[in-house]
Amino acid sequence: MKKSVSFEVNGQHQELAVAPSETLLQVLRDQLRLVGAKRGCDSGGCGCCTVHVDGKAVYSCMTFARSLQNCKVTTIEGLTKKDELDPLQTAFVEQGAVQCGYCTCGMIMSAKEFLSKHEQPDEDQIRHAIAGNLCRCTGYHKIVRAIKIAGQTTDLAGE
Amino acid sequence: MSLASVKEYFAPDGTEKVLELLETYGDGALIVAGGSFVHGLDARDLLTGVEALIDIQNLGLGQITLEAAGLSIGATVTFSELRQDNEIQTATALGAVRDALNCPPLQIRNVATIGGNIAAACPYFDLPTALMSVDGVVQACGPDGTREIEMQAFFSSLFQNSLVAGEFVTGLLLPPLPGRSSSAFIKLETNANDLAIVNVAVRVSLDESGICQQARVVVGGGVAETPIRATAAETVLQGERMTDELLQSASAEVPSDLQPMSDHRASAAYRSAVAKTLTKRALARALARLD
Amino acid sequence: MTKTNVVGQSVIGPDALEKVRGGKGFPVNVNLPGMLHAKLLRSPYAHARVLNIDTSEAEKLSGVKAVLVPGDVPQIKFCPVYFVPTMAPSMIQDMLVMSETVRYAGQPVAAVAATSPEIAEQALQLIDVDYEELEAVFDTDSAMQNGAPRLHEEAENNIAKNPVFEFGDLEAGFADADHIFEGTYKTQRAHTCYMEPRVCVVDSDVDGRLTVHSSMQHMFGLREKLAFVLDLPESMVNVIKPPYIGGGFGGKLDLGYIEPVAALLSLKTEKPVRIEQTRYEDFITTTRNPIEVYLKTGIKSDGTFTARYARSTLDCGAHATHGAEVIMVHGMFGILLPYRCVNQTWEGRTVYTNNMIGGGYRGYGSPQGAFAIESQIDEICEELGLDPIEFRLKNAHKEGDPHPFNPEFTLSTYRFEDCLRQAAARIDWGQRTPAGSATGTIKRGIGFGCQALWVSGCMGFPDIYEHSGAIIKLNPDGTANLSNATVDMGSGQNVTLCQIAAEELGLQADQVRMTYADTETVPFDAPSHASRVTYSAGTAVKAAAANVKKRLLEVAGVMLETTVDDLKVQDGHVCHQGSDRKLSIAEVVKRAESPFVQMTAEGPQPTTIGEKGTIIGVASMAPPSNPSPSSVEFVEIEVDTETGVVKVLKVVFAHDIGKVINPSAAQGQVEGGFQQGMGYALMENILFDDETGACLTADFLDYKMPTAVEMPPVIDSIFIESDEPTGPFGAKSLSEPCCTVPAPAIANAIYNAVGVRVRELPITPEKILAGLGKL
Ligand SMILES: Cc1cc2nc3c(=O)[nH]c(=O)nc-3n(C[C@H](O)[C@H](O)[C@H](O)COP(=O)(O)OP(=O)(O)OC[C@H]3O[C@@H](n4cnc5c(N)ncnc54)[C@H](O)[C@@H]3O)c2cc1C
Ligand code: FES
Ligand code: FES
Repeated sequence: MKKSVSFEVNGQHQELAVAPSETLLQVLRDQLRLVGAKRGCDSGGCGCCTVHVDGKAVYSCMTFARSLQNCKVTTIEGLTKKDELDPLQTAFVEQGAVQCGYCTCGMIMSAKEFLSKHEQPDEDQIRHAIAGNLCRCTGYHKIVRAIKIAGQTTDLAGE
Repeated sequence: MSLASVKEYFAPDGTEKVLELLETYGDGALIVAGGSFVHGLDARDLLTGVEALIDIQNLGLGQITLEAAGLSIGATVTFSELRQDNEIQTATALGAVRDALNCPPLQIRNVATIGGNIAAACPYFDLPTALMSVDGVVQACGPDGTREIEMQAFFSSLFQNSLVAGEFVTGLLLPPLPGRSSSAFIKLETNANDLAIVNVAVRVSLDESGICQQARVVVGGGVAETPIRATAAETVLQGERMTDELLQSASAEVPSDLQPMSDHRASAAYRSAVAKTLTKRALARALARLD
Repeated sequence: MTKTNVVGQSVIGPDALEKVRGGKGFPVNVNLPGMLHAKLLRSPYAHARVLNIDTSEAEKLSGVKAVLVPGDVPQIKFCPVYFVPTMAPSMIQDMLVMSETVRYAGQPVAAVAATSPEIAEQALQLIDVDYEELEAVFDTDSAMQNGAPRLHEEAENNIAKNPVFEFGDLEAGFADADHIFEGTYKTQRAHTCYMEPRVCVVDSDVDGRLTVHSSMQHMFGLREKLAFVLDLPESMVNVIKPPYIGGGFGGKLDLGYIEPVAALLSLKTEKPVRIEQTRYEDFITTTRNPIEVYLKTGIKSDGTFTARYARSTLDCGAHATHGAEVIMVHGMFGILLPYRCVNQTWEGRTVYTNNMIGGGYRGYGSPQGAFAIESQIDEICEELGLDPIEFRLKNAHKEGDPHPFNPEFTLSTYRFEDCLRQAAARIDWGQRTPAGSATGTIKRGIGFGCQALWVSGCMGFPDIYEHSGAIIKLNPDGTANLSNATVDMGSGQNVTLCQIAAEELGLQADQVRMTYADTETVPFDAPSHASRVTYSAGTAVKAAAANVKKRLLEVAGVMLETTVDDLKVQDGHVCHQGSDRKLSIAEVVKRAESPFVQMTAEGPQPTTIGEKGTIIGVASMAPPSNPSPSSVEFVEIEVDTETGVVKVLKVVFAHDIGKVINPSAAQGQVEGGFQQGMGYALMENILFDDETGACLTADFLDYKMPTAVEMPPVIDSIFIESDEPTGPFGAKSLSEPCCTVPAPAIANAIYNAVGVRVRELPITPEKILAGLGKL
């Protein structure tokens, strides 16, 4: 049985009919056509689907949409404000941290929460922060560097 | 996720309503807390016939309080929330819990609940091993009221806990530990986003003179159907002073208490050998925390 | 080295900007009006015959639009490999889109199209299949025994292919040897783990014409194979080029089940049909073939090879697919050719088993060979007290030698020695301590491996396509559009090819944009594989740009009333040499595109016919050669002797890849290649249940690959630039060797650290503890 759930996505109120086992990832991609969150495994293994729920990074493929009543969801599409890229987005582009790009949005969303809580993190901390995000193209080096650089330019709690 | 048979999703706002739903749906009900192991259950074909999901996030079980009886942790407290708790961050006795809470990746820590981690009774999880070393007690609530279950008795077999029909976990109690207590946890994994091949948690509680009053050596990760206590090793430590030789000989006893599994991730022999090494290292780490 | 402006810069393309904002161009996002979703029903048995399929219940389910069973599918045998002609004699046509004989667990036996994926999935549960289970065989030794269940009628003892190469006189070579070494080296199944699943959307017109979107590495291969299995003329299939795909690495180099099934369901329903594979389906769709190599080498005391015999046994699973070609590349580039040895015999066997089918994967047979060859060389040097660097150099090819694979080509640039020496210096090779001499619980070691010989494409390979095309068109604003049929799977050719075009046209990199292509409008191209794109497609792009330039200068010549010989392009302008007269490219294009008669203050003015028409250049051509890159990698590692856990601390890679077109992209290839190679060395393995053949590693919790945490903090990449005379602006190729070399390098480093030689991948902690005698 579908039921209505009301929550916010990237600052916009949404009221959607959702089936009991439907995931946030399905809702984002299929209903809202926000395709930044990607399906890489549908089982919590890759991180491509990472988005924020109330400021916290989660795997949207494991989040029941029905649990989101009154929650605030942020996706990669919500990071860019008035065409101005988030410092993480800029750093990923400039550091060459994007190859095929399938992992990129999830990586950035994990890094985003992490940077909001850690000032000027070192590489080791960054590597652990993205342990839940797989990348098969880059070997992570340029990703780690991009996050480090973005971490030097963002203030804490930059949400 | 397929979950093809699911027809309802309930998010009740009181314990009574949960109990009602559990009664109504019986085997067709599945409690959902963080939801992070639902796929794991599905992949193991443990969800057939589930019709109703019961979300327990609105029951007010998200509190952490320090009481005379110990640290009381609500069932829906997440790994991330517990990691932030002052007692968990600072208490030497709870070092093992702190170590284990770091293990899952960020996205899992943010949703995985303590109750769900315990209730899943998965021998490859980390927190149960750590909690057993600090004598955690599971609090459950059911049609006949509430009860407390020692961790060790809570896990009955692979993915099986000892809750009876209609019961669910409401929280966890970490009682005060005797003397100067310190604990530590170590995990062997293939990559940083892995379930344990073997994990070990140890606790030593020393008296004033440095003699071990109480010891816990707990091994998990496929060394048996549930995390288990290596009592032979504990006996070696009990009543003794913590010398390097003692740690060695205690660790050497660990394999005698294991019934490790062989699977595609590791052989029984390897699990045994590594359990010994990890015990030695965990003991050293726990002792270092006392300095 | 040619002086360049745009080539050689770390240019960032528009794709990256799009991808950090959501990446709308991935095929997984294709969504057409009225689209249906299909799912495949897969056999739980590894070997079985389908006796009966009852789909009546499934058909009754509301939302189900069509069901497909083997009886509905043309029974045309094919080989799914994209880069060979469909009936290529060197390949084996042994597959059906849907068969009543099941040869591996997970083979599809039916499909459903419905209004949602959930309904399609539900319908699958309602299909009742009656199987007759057959005896299955899961390892090559048993499969080759007399009396083993035979998978394909044509293949006696399940041997699908049995190539043999002989050079010189093997017996004399061994007789001449002072020492003989033997060993058996085994590799496992590894998945490329592209992050974007295989996915397709197929639409059909009223006249049965198909339009195909797919996450694949070869548009024209997909068109050819799909048309073939559906018995359609190729012109009835149009494959749309995805702007980019989410990884491939060789894992999307063959026709899957999904495209033909979606096509048939689309024809049946007259609706677009989408199929997205689950990660489990991806894991059983493609893999690097496991190969067992028995290697026997004769050697002089001074370290010269006198003879080599090798026998390689490849488990291709239920169908030969890539296994028929991987074995050849493995034999040639993995075993026989990397070093000089006059007397050599190699026998290959591609063997059917009831395992999953194989696929392409970065290195295509060479990683399995390099693991054997490079491990054994270190064993030889250890035993005889020889220096492993000098040993390799002694037996290596030299710059200017004829190409050992095809003597019509030469090794015109070949800087293997520079690679070895520079990387050795960078890692402080001289400080290396003898094997096993480190003390303590945690022991350090250094080791290296090489890929002395590799390819830049497939020029000269029997039966393999190797030509490229490009269309470049100038716009009235002075920018250019480039269309080309190679799919960017993350290796960055959408940028590098634009750099090559921009360099030739005197434009900035961001003034050339990679644009739309489909198989109806652009020239043929071979796939994005075999390290070929920069070299081969780059050659065609440069030629197309040269054609554009020629036309541009002709028009400018008319405008400036001068001869073409006096003109050159520079910084977005056509400049007259000898005066300061110049025209912007935009001005020239506008003139070429303007109405024939132009209204001016003096009244209507006709221009000349000769300057009219879009300035466009086309090229479709084969590359001139197949130059070899070479690559060397040193690693420093640490082994925990109580757990067997290996940690890689530092990597130094040296590559001779010709001119580096885009340094940042090249580094990215190397770093990513190392991640895959390290995973292959230490942890990755697709495993199956011994009895049922069911996949045990069907998600990322069970199939382990390195996360950021396991990766070494330092990956130092050295590019030894050479100016390859046959390559575009001197370029050769890169992307595969960096994935091939890590396994032997790590194996050799482990030996150096703890004195344990592991000859079977992956080198798990358990194998090391066993080697240390601790289990
Ligand atoms: C990618 C990944 C990595 C992981 N890494 C680690 C790791 O490193 N270490 C580790 O320890 N764990 C790890 N886990 C496991 C994770 O910690 C557990 O999935 C999580 O703790 C389960 O809690 P949950 O709240 O999400 O439970 P849910 O998924 O909601 O439920 C799990 C099970 O418990 C039952 N349940 C939940 N709450 C209750 C309750 N209060 N009473 C009765 N039954 C209940 C449910 O019915 C279900 O059967 C990982 C999981 C994933 C997916
Ligand atoms: S799709 Fe959610 S973690 Fe892979
Ligand atoms: S860039 Fe391709 S998976 Fe990360």
